[in-house]
Amino acid sequence: MIYEKENRYIIPFDDVPSPRAEMPEISVDERRGNFVEVETGFPENMSVQEAKRCLSCRRCLGCALCWAECEPEAIDFSIPDEELDLEFDDVIITKGQDNAFYPIDSKLGFGSYADVITDIQFERMLSPTGPTDGMVVSPLDGEIPKRMAIVQGNPDSEDDQILSSLILGVNESIIALDRTKELEVVLISPINQAFKEQFLSEAEQVSGLKMAGGAPDSVERKAEGKPLILHYTENSQQKDEPFDLIVILTKPRISSEIESLSRRLEKSVQ
Amino acid sequence: MCTGRVDPALVAKAFKKGIDGLMVVGCYFGDCHYITGNHQAKAKMDMTRKLFKFIGLNEDRLAFRQCSSGEASVFVELVSEFDQKILDIGPLGGDGDTVKAPEIFKKLEAAEAVLAGEKIRWIIGKRTPFLETGNMYGEVFTEHEFNRAIDMIIVEEMEVQEILARLKETARSVKDLANDLTIPPARVFRYISALKRKGMVALDTVAGQTPIFQIARQEV
Amino acid sequence: MQDKKVLIVGGGIDGVNAALEKAEAGAQVTIMEKFPTLGAERIPRDRLIQPDDAFVNPDLNKVRNHDSIQVLTYSKIKKVSRDNGKVTAHILKQSLRVDNSKCNDCKACIKVCPVNMFDDFDESLSFRTAVDYFNPATGEYNIFKEDMPVCQQACPVNLDIRTYVGQIADGKHLDSLATIRDRLPLPGSIGRVCPHPCETACNRQYIDEPISICFLKRYVADVELNKEIEPVYETPEKKLPEKIAIIGAGPAGLTCAYHLARQGYENITIYETLPVPGGYLWVGIPEYRLPKKLLQREVDLIANMGIEIQYNKRIGKDVSFEDLKKNNDAVFIGAGCHLGLKLRVPGEDEYEGKGIVDCVTFLRDQALGNPIDTKGKLIVIGGGNAAIDSARVGWRMGFDEVYILYRRTKKEMPANPWEIDAAEHEGVIIQYLAAPVEILGKDGRVSGMKCIKMELGEPDASGRRRPVPIEGSEYVIDAETIVPALSQAANLEFLGEDHGLDINRWNTFDIDEETGATNIQGVFAGGDVVTGPDIAIRAVAAGKKAAEGIHEYLRSK
Repeated sequence: MIYEKENRYIIPFDDVPSPRAEMPEISVDERRGNFVEVETGFPENMSVQEAKRCLSCRRCLGCALCWAECEPEAIDFSIPDEELDLEFDDVIITKGQDNAFYPIDSKLGFGSYADVITDIQFERMLSPTGPTDGMVVSPLDGEIPKRMAIVQGNPDSEDDQILSSLILGVNESIIALDRTKELEVVLISPINQAFKEQFLSEAEQVSGLKMAGGAPDSVERKAEGKPLILHYTENSQQKDEPFDLIVILTKPRISSEIESLSRRLEKSVQ
Repeated sequence: MCTGRVDPALVAKAFKKGIDGLMVVGCYFGDCHYITGNHQAKAKMDMTRKLFKFIGLNEDRLAFRQCSSGEASVFVELVSEFDQKILDIGPLGGDGDTVKAPEIFKKLEAAEAVLAGEKIRWIIGKRTPFLETGNMYGEVFTEHEFNRAIDMIIVEEMEVQEILARLKETARSVKDLANDLTIPPARVFRYISALKRKGMVALDTVAGQTPIFQIARQEV
Repeated sequence: MQDKKVLIVGGGIDGVNAALEKAEAGAQVTIMEKFPTLGAERIPRDRLIQPDDAFVNPDLNKVRNHDSIQVLTYSKIKKVSRDNGKVTAHILKQSLRVDNSKCNDCKACIKVCPVNMFDDFDESLSFRTAVDYFNPATGEYNIFKEDMPVCQQACPVNLDIRTYVGQIADGKHLDSLATIRDRLPLPGSIGRVCPHPCETACNRQYIDEPISICFLKRYVADVELNKEIEPVYETPEKKLPEKIAIIGAGPAGLTCAYHLARQGYENITIYETLPVPGGYLWVGIPEYRLPKKLLQREVDLIANMGIEIQYNKRIGKDVSFEDLKKNNDAVFIGAGCHLGLKLRVPGEDEYEGKGIVDCVTFLRDQALGNPIDTKGKLIVIGGGNAAIDSARVGWRMGFDEVYILYRRTKKEMPANPWEIDAAEHEGVIIQYLAAPVEILGKDGRVSGMKCIKMELGEPDASGRRRPVPIEGSEYVIDAETIVPALSQAANLEFLGEDHGLDINRWNTFDIDEETGATNIQGVFAGGDVVTGPDIAIRAVAAGKKAAEGIHEYLRSK
């Protein structure tokens, strides 16, 4: 399943022709010594077939069925957008609710396996008002995991980034363990000095949580219906272990909109 | 009766009762007393054929044809041609269909629920305004785009209605539903959480590692 | 400070807390968030927690009911500027389309809504419907209506791709062409040369491959051509008298003229230095990618709207920029970037014109039919589309062997990958990880080039790995012609001295992005002369924006 914010959810349908049409070209021999157009263009049937591949992405269809069903008549398509011109003495820029993060190495399987999710998604899952009412389940099959791993997605990050994602990882583990019977969590990340001094002893006392200093290498599923295999390095030792759910600790970044705003106003993001 | 009034849900019901073929014969385009009745009929039957294909029923079992009331010979020709076609396809749920009996009847039951549901009815009824004057935002659809919207609703509604039908029988887990319906479990998981959000499905119990879902009380 | 007005951007926990803090201190606070409601509970990132107080929750009710806090959700900043410490902002508050004071949360709407979409609030873990609540904690409903689909958003001119592709699927090819021409007057040309950012955005890529949007545009343009239909671009009956001068008949200038003519302006003159129209489309894109006949036809259709194109008119020589400004109500500068950059290696200046010819000149000479000596071997230096074009042109003209030298690897090459493949396919020899060291000559002419092998080192500021020379790896390629194709720059000499226009350090214009206006009233600019060398469709977009800017300026005068 694709995780692409603000993109349309796509459903495959059989009669949609596939794959993309190739542009016909004249041969290389016909090209030497002249400037005849190389690409000869789609013929009609090919163009129509290609056009039919279009998914016609649209979210609200504007069908007004909701409006027809709404008893208190709260839905009103004619409520206009408002444009405001405002003046301020000061501006404070915060990162907002857009939880953007730096790209994750594709070897970790995020985006290809439904049971590999980000720490931000896991946080939504743990939230009492979230999509699973706070229950820890694998989005792959809806089952409650027995063994899950929380892994550092950007092990080469700066120290304070590692520290804050470690704290988040431990926090999420505490809540997940508290909610879930017979769960075992392995947290795999480089453990830095600051974390060792302040939090490591506390984290090691959480029952069910195992801290593994190291870095993840790759994630794979050997066969359909089998758990994910996580390959990782702990104390320069190569390990391969099965997990029912893998959570990746991401490296947060400021969304591009906020970033450009901050640049234009010469104000840093708080 | 105008063919524009033929309800696709009735078509599905007829097949559920075991008929092998159904032909809707309407007036020629341009001859409609109600201006667009036969266009609507064609759109509805096209959509129903699409749904039949999706559930594994040979869509040629349903046909939309046109002739005028004065053309007796044309009518006879249409009927004998269709009759031969159905003979070639064979009995419902047999070799002519991808999904066999009795499974196909379960699918038809869900199909009837889809076609009787508000979503499909409403959208198909919006076809003419969408293509000519536009939706609530004044955006005019191309036919292709309208068909894509219908495709999307057919797939999702069909899968949702099948899930609801199974849950009405008994409480089930995501995995069980996925196995029964051959829908990928990750998709079932999403449907279940969407249905939960709508208040139509609720968690029943947790058996070991497996959450079991049931139909919400007010939906029974 | 009393009554200080503060804008808080972002309605997450940080924003909500900052709003409360400032409001308590006596300020007038406006909090703005792009999503339909304010933030939700979060797990803290700065301390270890116990499950009881697991989530930090912002006090949303307090914010919403606070007398001195104005909440703007589902809002975007359209324009913002900072002057003397004051910040002025133009904010668009999108309509929720649901009156939440009437809503009783019965969920009837979400049960019937036929559209499932990824739920942004739940980070795509689940679905929401098009009409739904955003944050379950606040319960406010909204209808999610995007401005445009992703392809249209990615297109610099925001072509209505969904509609024109749909019309092709319906078999309505000429309607589709009309849809395209509503925004883009050069469908056949752009349909051949565009590197199509729309296809990069296309959602279909997540199933198999993106739709071939660009070639479909070319297809409908070709349908009209093959059917020998001569369309007439309509102009309104009510004409507008103002005089407008446009410098450069490239994609930016032509588009600007087209859209102004559609507004009713009948005194539009385009001044073009070259004897041909199209700017870089004519003299930079080779015939085998874009036939001149086709380009000429598309230009003629625009010119037939009553637009005068004066060829061989160089501003600064035949007409001064000052006079142009004086004699017209508005001027649009779309002069492009027609100055090839130098290699800066020994021997380059010595053999300039004696075997060394920059890619802009090389391609222009070929396009205009000027004589080019095609004896021996050709070396093109660079990795952009201009380098590939030069090489493929050279190969067609009959050079014995054609080389491209690029200092990084194929992966880093900025040219379109399909162009690189085509060049290799035709027999152009691409030497990756190689750079020029010195131009060698004999009897006053280029005889070859000393090159050096490179390897990739640490990433530089652009994120690409920096190429480093391998010591002692020098080698020589014999060649009679060398074409540097590094990048292009704008030549602004035509403006004369004391023109007073704001020019930035890249020697391009600083303009108002919304209107294309320069710092001088009535003078507008767009295209490569603003952006530096860029793709044609962005120049088209700039031309269209400037046409709107000029119209607004002239009507408010």
